Amino acid sequence: MANHHPNEELLMAYSASSLPISQALCVSTHLEFCEQCRSHTQKLNSIGGLLLESLAPKAGSSKLKGQVMALLDEPRQTQAARPCKTAEVASNTFLIPRPLRQFMSDGYDSLAWGWTAPDIYTSEICRDDNGAQVSLLRINPGGDVGKHSHTGDEYTVILSGSFSDEDGIYLAGDFLIRDKHQQHRPVASKDCACICLTSVEAPIQFTGFFRRWLNPLICKSYQPQSL
Amino acid sequence: MSDTLTRQPAALSAEQHILNRHWQTCLVCVAEQQDREAFGELFDHFTPLLRAYSLRAQPGAYLLADELAQDVMIKVWNKASTYKPEMAAASTWIFTLARNSRIDNLRRNSRFVNHIEVEDLWQEPEDPAPSLFEAVQLKRSQKQVRQGLEQLPPEQRHVLAKVYLEGKSHQQAANELHLPLGTVKSRIRLALQKLKLLLIKDVTRP
Repeated sequence: MANHHPNEELLMAYSASSLPISQALCVSTHLEFCEQCRSHTQKLNSIGGLLLESLAPKAGSSKLKGQVMALLDEPRQTQAARPCKTAEVASNTFLIPRPLRQFMSDGYDSLAWGWTAPDIYTSEICRDDNGAQVSLLRINPGGDVGKHSHTGDEYTVILSGSFSDEDGIYLAGDFLIRDKHQQHRPVASKDCACICLTSVEAPIQFTGFFRRWLNPLICKSYQPQSL
Repeated sequence: MSDTLTRQPAALSAEQHILNRHWQTCLVCVAEQQDREAFGELFDHFTPLLRAYSLRAQPGAYLLADELAQDVMIKVWNKASTYKPEMAAASTWIFTLARNSRIDNLRRNSRFVNHIEVEDLWQEPEDPAPSLFEAVQLKRSQKQVRQGLEQLPPEQRHVLAKVYLEGKSHQQAANELHLPLGTVKSRIRLALQKLKLLLIKDVTRP
């Protein structure tokens, strides 16, 4: 049961589809954990339904109806008929939230994890049009990410394990945003590794004395693609 | 100007309520009996609205509007059995199909994220059918949203329409309406408050 949630504006932007894919990925992953936010999103969808109803209708060509009616005779696509990437994967994937299953064939271990810093491994899963980098982050038990600030907003959803920072402790399903003005120092709990989904608009900056040397390395691996 | 504004919803309401029940029944007929006549009625009512929805975001793109309408109506036919009348009004369900179709279309034309399975991000929730209590709550919320929308000041309604019908981010809405971002955000908050969609003040929400 998640204790930290996206705010209403973010849920609304998700419901209206005015959210970049990178952020939508974080919100939808949180929704997999959180029934309360799912039900709220359902209610927000009704704004869209009512606004759709209130649009001034724009009648089109009368041929369209004939075309669509003709297509109805084709066999119905059932849910199962959709090529489902999740059907073939191994059973240990059931713990992975649905929106993320498409990025890995067989659980978190099947991802290419790259060493980022002591106790921290990352695996980039996609890059958004706006340049945001979406990755999974694995912190070894008790691992200390180090004090860092952000050059852009950072969205995080805890997938398994837990970590804590100056503001509190975060468990599986929790959703948090750190903006560019906030510094924090997450530390994974000692009992198990912590895996999170993060979306960063721009590379993080380590501010602690010992880890500052990592900044150029991070910037190098980041390399925003030109649009 | 009247073209860009949505109709004033005063005309919706009582008769709208009866109509909503009607569309719900039509969807159930399509799901259970593959009723073409019911589908035809849904088609006649929703296609012009779906075209309007597409044209709102991309004015002048008539071909795209036809494509979206066709895509959504085929999904209505194929997926009617997944529609849960106790969860949502017919228009809400059709809105989510239209939204997903729009996202899918944008994604196909995107340079980076075109390999992402969008349906996995905006999927229909797989929650079991709601309990009687939840169903009553949902119904009440639907009523509050409908009444709230009717009473919303035009400037708040306008911002909601930008976000929901055009898929604009708060920043884009601010730019297009020549308003500061803070004003757009506060209008959205005020609107959500009127629609009783603000969650209880909770320190854990950022």
